[in-house]
Amino acid sequence: MKIDGDFDVVVVGSGPAGATTARSCAEGGLRTLVVDKKQELGSPIQCSGAVSANALRSAGIALDDEFLSASVHGFSVFDGEGEESLLDLRRASPEPAGYVVDRRRFDRHLMRTAQQAGAEAWLKAEALGHEPQDGGTTLLRIRQFGAVRTVRTRVIVGADGLQSQVGRWAGLTTRIRLPELASCLQYVVDGVETRGLLEIVTGSQWAPGGYAWLFPKANGQAEVGLGVSRTMTDRDARWHLERFLRESFLRARFAGMRILEVQGGGVPLTAPLRRQYDDHIILVGDAARHVNPITGGGIHTALRGGILAGAFLREVLPTGEPPTADLLRGYQERWEGDFGKALRQLYTVRSALNRVPDVDRQDRELHQVFANYFRPGSPYRYI
Amino acid sequence: MPARPPTMFDVDWNSCIQCGACVAVCPLPGFTSQFDTIATHRPCDVSCMACERICPVTAISSEPGPDDDQLA
Repeated sequence: MKIDGDFDVVVVGSGPAGATTARSCAEGGLRTLVVDKKQELGSPIQCSGAVSANALRSAGIALDDEFLSASVHGFSVFDGEGEESLLDLRRASPEPAGYVVDRRRFDRHLMRTAQQAGAEAWLKAEALGHEPQDGGTTLLRIRQFGAVRTVRTRVIVGADGLQSQVGRWAGLTTRIRLPELASCLQYVVDGVETRGLLEIVTGSQWAPGGYAWLFPKANGQAEVGLGVSRTMTDRDARWHLERFLRESFLRARFAGMRILEVQGGGVPLTAPLRRQYDDHIILVGDAARHVNPITGGGIHTALRGGILAGAFLREVLPTGEPPTADLLRGYQERWEGDFGKALRQLYTVRSALNRVPDVDRQDRELHQVFANYFRPGSPYRYI
Repeated sequence: MPARPPTMFDVDWNSCIQCGACVAVCPLPGFTSQFDTIATHRPCDVSCMACERICPVTAISSEPGPDDDQLA
């Protein structure tokens, strides 16, 4: 059989988790390929792009105007009536606490960094399936521009998002249950003033089972959106967003709004997968459900998972040991000890919230969780 | 006998924002279209309707699909 390439690691999916894993693997001298079925990195955008300064720093990503869209200096959390709980960190430090990144440019930047480190990348390339071989390798079939190519690799990293095919090959990824997937819609808009803060609105009258947001972007633009749980409303996210824009206590700020872009997605508010590895396979990012189940934020967790996966593969692959499930379990053990604990804790907070029977009480408790979330001393501030 | 009758889904491509939420919530592996939505060319015999509900822009609609007798 003709082999079209020989690699140590093939990463399926070029988002932040995949690109970070690939960069780290390539930096460690592993022969690394990234495949993505899309034709454009970072598109379509399914995410608001908020990320903490700490997340970028700890993943070794230098700040670059190429992808930074706006600086974030704190948080404003409103309850459904408009009562504000404000945390403006500009009094404490002029340095931004975080950023809103332009996801198209950010994803491109991360992939470029991975390529500069030596990773190869194929676009319009869909991973179809793999067949393990003797000697610790597996043959991965990839369809690119209509032609099927086969590459040999030792490990396949599933960074292929919520609908992860790699996870499904291994029977690791199951569908997300409806109550644990927030239905989200956001508009990128012009003509709405922002405050250098992440503004968050809780309250079931606006976003049942989720929250609404208003985030700053470059050039005076903003992102306004919301996520709802469809088990708590008969209306879709768009209906709720339109009503929020028209009727909420913030409506005056939306009066001159012009819509530039419509983006949406399903955001998992669920627990990380119990098992994130198999023979020849590990999962990172959304594919492993490395998502914050309170905020729905997934960039930090994707970057962190990528760093941990890369470091692990750089350590174990050069030993020549076959990448069996037994060996790759080590990746998850490390992840559990690093980030897993916090994410699983947040999931218990989320589950407890979901179980509160009374809607008003649930609203109050969700608001409290958000209001305290970012405070100094909060155990979750850096997640 | 399936617990619920099969369903044919239709995606309004004018509304669809290609967010992938319908596929993420679908219990059937591989029940997808070429455009990263749930499949529209064959009936779904789970009929849990989670895809229709999760869609942020209500792009998915459905009607009862052909049942097993009709297919046979």
